[in-house]
Amino acid sequence: MHPHSFSRRRPIAGRRALLLWLTFLMPFISWAGGLPVLLACGEEPVPHAAGMPWMALKDVTQGSLLFKTNQVGRYIPAQLLKTDVQIAVTGIIARTTLKQEFVNPSREKDDWAEGIYVFPLPETAAVDHLRMKVGERTIVGDIKERAEAKKVYEQAKQEGKRASLVEQERPNMFTTSVANIAPGDKITVEIEYQETVRYNQGTFSLRFPMVVGPRYIPGTPVVMEDQPRSHGWSLDTDRVTDASRITPPVQPPHHGMINPVSLTIDLAAGFPLGKVESEYHDILTIAEPDGRQHISLRQDHVPANKDFQLTWQPAPGHIPTATVYRQQQGDSAYAFLMVTPPRSDQPITQVPRETIFVIDTSGSMAGTSIEQAKAALLLALHRLTAQDRFNVIQFNSVTHVLFSQPQSVTTDTLRRAVHYVEQLHANGGTEILPALKMALKGTPPSTHLRQVIFLTDGQVGNEDELFDVIRSQLGTSRLFTIGIGSAPNSHFMRKAAEFGRGTFTHIGSTSEVKAQMDAIFRKLERPVLTDLHVEGLEGTDEMFPTRIPDLYDGEPVVAALKTRTIPTNVIIKGSFGSAPWTTTVALKDSPLRDGLSVYWARQKIASLTDQQRYGQDESRTRQAVLDVALAHHLVSKYTSLVAVDTEPVRPTDKSLITHAMKTNLPEGQDYQAIFGLPKTATSWQLQILLGLATLVAAGLLWGFRKQVA
Amino acid sequence: MSPIRTTPRTLVILSVCLLAVGLWQIGEGSWIYAKARLAQYLLQRAWSRTLAEETTVKPWPWADTWPVARLTVPSKHIDLIVLNGAYGRTLAFGPGYAESSSFPGSPGTTILTGHRDTHFEFLKQLKQDDEIMLETAAGITRRYLVQDSQIVDARTASIDLPDGEDQLVLVTCYPFDAIVPGGALRYVVTAVEIDVQRNRTTVETSS
Repeated sequence: MHPHSFSRRRPIAGRRALLLWLTFLMPFISWAGGLPVLLACGEEPVPHAAGMPWMALKDVTQGSLLFKTNQVGRYIPAQLLKTDVQIAVTGIIARTTLKQEFVNPSREKDDWAEGIYVFPLPETAAVDHLRMKVGERTIVGDIKERAEAKKVYEQAKQEGKRASLVEQERPNMFTTSVANIAPGDKITVEIEYQETVRYNQGTFSLRFPMVVGPRYIPGTPVVMEDQPRSHGWSLDTDRVTDASRITPPVQPPHHGMINPVSLTIDLAAGFPLGKVESEYHDILTIAEPDGRQHISLRQDHVPANKDFQLTWQPAPGHIPTATVYRQQQGDSAYAFLMVTPPRSDQPITQVPRETIFVIDTSGSMAGTSIEQAKAALLLALHRLTAQDRFNVIQFNSVTHVLFSQPQSVTTDTLRRAVHYVEQLHANGGTEILPALKMALKGTPPSTHLRQVIFLTDGQVGNEDELFDVIRSQLGTSRLFTIGIGSAPNSHFMRKAAEFGRGTFTHIGSTSEVKAQMDAIFRKLERPVLTDLHVEGLEGTDEMFPTRIPDLYDGEPVVAALKTRTIPTNVIIKGSFGSAPWTTTVALKDSPLRDGLSVYWARQKIASLTDQQRYGQDESRTRQAVLDVALAHHLVSKYTSLVAVDTEPVRPTDKSLITHAMKTNLPEGQDYQAIFGLPKTATSWQLQILLGLATLVAAGLLWGFRKQVA
Repeated sequence: MSPIRTTPRTLVILSVCLLAVGLWQIGEGSWIYAKARLAQYLLQRAWSRTLAEETTVKPWPWADTWPVARLTVPSKHIDLIVLNGAYGRTLAFGPGYAESSSFPGSPGTTILTGHRDTHFEFLKQLKQDDEIMLETAAGITRRYLVQDSQIVDARTASIDLPDGEDQLVLVTCYPFDAIVPGGALRYVVTAVEIDVQRNRTTVETSS
């Protein structure tokens, strides 16, 4: 404490002591007001070694299955859930078989289990097959309307039959339910989906997400007492009505990693390959004699705690300018085309820009994500030029803006911005809405292009609400999303950029920051290919996307077509500013390829869902989506896959216990910042003590007044 | 010589400044304490309405929280309204329900947190087998008996939410009489449910 008891001495000594006293006191007083923030029960995150927790046999209290390890007397508990992933890439179409093995580890005769697992898939995945494997038998799943599929599953569950159900929660989030797993037994659920590989700036990439990160759920909980507790850690709210379905329980990181994943990829790129890389996992690559690559993880299993990403580049001189496939199915013909416009490498005359940076500083960003976001933002600040204007907005539970108005770039404003960004730290909720509105508000000088750069992990449950705001309030701005962290919500990143007429980028590690920011700046600074349209189609042909979006540097035109007879050629036209661009694509003799109908159907569903955001009423959208999804066997918001075994296995007098499968916390995230408890002490005693001490000091000074004179 | 000359005039100004700062600090400190007390009166009223109307009632118009349960400890004359959400801004008014745990009244482990120097000061007096009651908006009262109290390090410990066990966990900062807030230690009281009373019949809804 401070020396607030000192006796009267000689005036000179007293005066010195007084000054000394004040020097001590002043900083103390000045931060007293900020105490509650500074001293918020600051739980420092304690890094825990990743890997499986070891336990001795005596530690086992439940009847869990154990695996032997190399060390004598040491076992690891059997995993309740294992995932195996096999991806086959042919050209730019990828088909994935996902095997989820649900284990009921109990040894008690009557412990029948139901497992519920919420898991991510790529946001463009078209899920079209479900197979349930029980021992040697395989039961193939049917596509049904969602409510009906649920009913079929529930009934089978009640009757004691083995059953499984795959439902879509979000385009990139699904739930598998498996009923009546016998004690000590397992059921494997096999899901198949198709997606297309992303092509961007000369690189092909494929992402396989492994974990649904904890989402922030805004709104007021809708409480229903006496309802069975739902499986998520959040209650449903008025703004996220399915919150309890999208918030799977999270394993605290110090309890060890769960949900092991094994993964292999068979890559037939269709051209000689240059670099093949996996940014976040170690891989082994074996080249087959026919040019295919066989890729597997270096480790047998990795924990499901971050996205897997494979990127590959064509060997120099083999960069495809157009990829075209076709498929004949019954009366219909399908075509797929991907055309890469030429890239200009000459320096561009720069247009002045007004750039609004928005950075997410919520609790889910705590850890490595906020460091990546800050590094990216600092890099971006240094790319601004003197003719630009800019502002920085941060948001967590509240939104805070650096300047009340966007400022011109000067050494002073830049210095303030850099200082501001360096001070950011992550904590609190993810209230994106007000930040988004603030970022889209405001009109730049007519000479300036307005670009909003949004850095976030997108870990929210109210995506649709946000898309509506972007769609309706975009104005002349363009929105560019940068997905930060090891397991970002890619559905949010992609769709937000789509509605924002910008483009999205992922930054998953600090080492990627520079390359990815360079890539995004190429896009921001170069002219955009606009007014794209396809000529040579008949009126009855259905092409998706219905309107081809503007393209940024290095992005291809991608379209899917359903028609009766494939046209010989189509012509794609567009313009780079005032310079027209035209290319002719030959469809007639393109190679045949399976799966195009699935791709087309998935694009149609996406397009129908978007139309609903543009004002079409939900019942019409629902019916239109149902028609496509049921015809093409696809899981959607309104359709699910369900598989039911023929004979009951569980005696109906035995009860069934439901287990919500836990998920890992995404790598680099801070458990305390998301699920930690708040500080549970106030500063009232401290403040009163401080106040009293200050009053005593005031009194003493008053007393000194005469002596000094 | 010091550039600042200590004249009677500067001393008067300084003492007035110190007086102001002192009063401000005492005011703020008292306000925190008063707020914690006063809010509970408003909350009791909101709680009666919650029970009557069976919906969430905001205790004051601009509140971003609402009462979810009433916590009583008859032996310690404690009667507190529990708020939704365990955030700093709600804990100023009452103990908060941690949303990652079971909702008060539903089966499982319910975690409540409170400030060690206001609402949850009484935790230090709780002994084994003390009775705690938790009344929910649906009119269900769950009775719990204190099983144990322990001091944990918030940086390493975590509260288990075992399946199939109905318990109440009360958490506050530790030590109770520390002046400076912000330590890493937590005082955790675990109480186990002994029975459930339904004050009125609730309509079963089928899903």
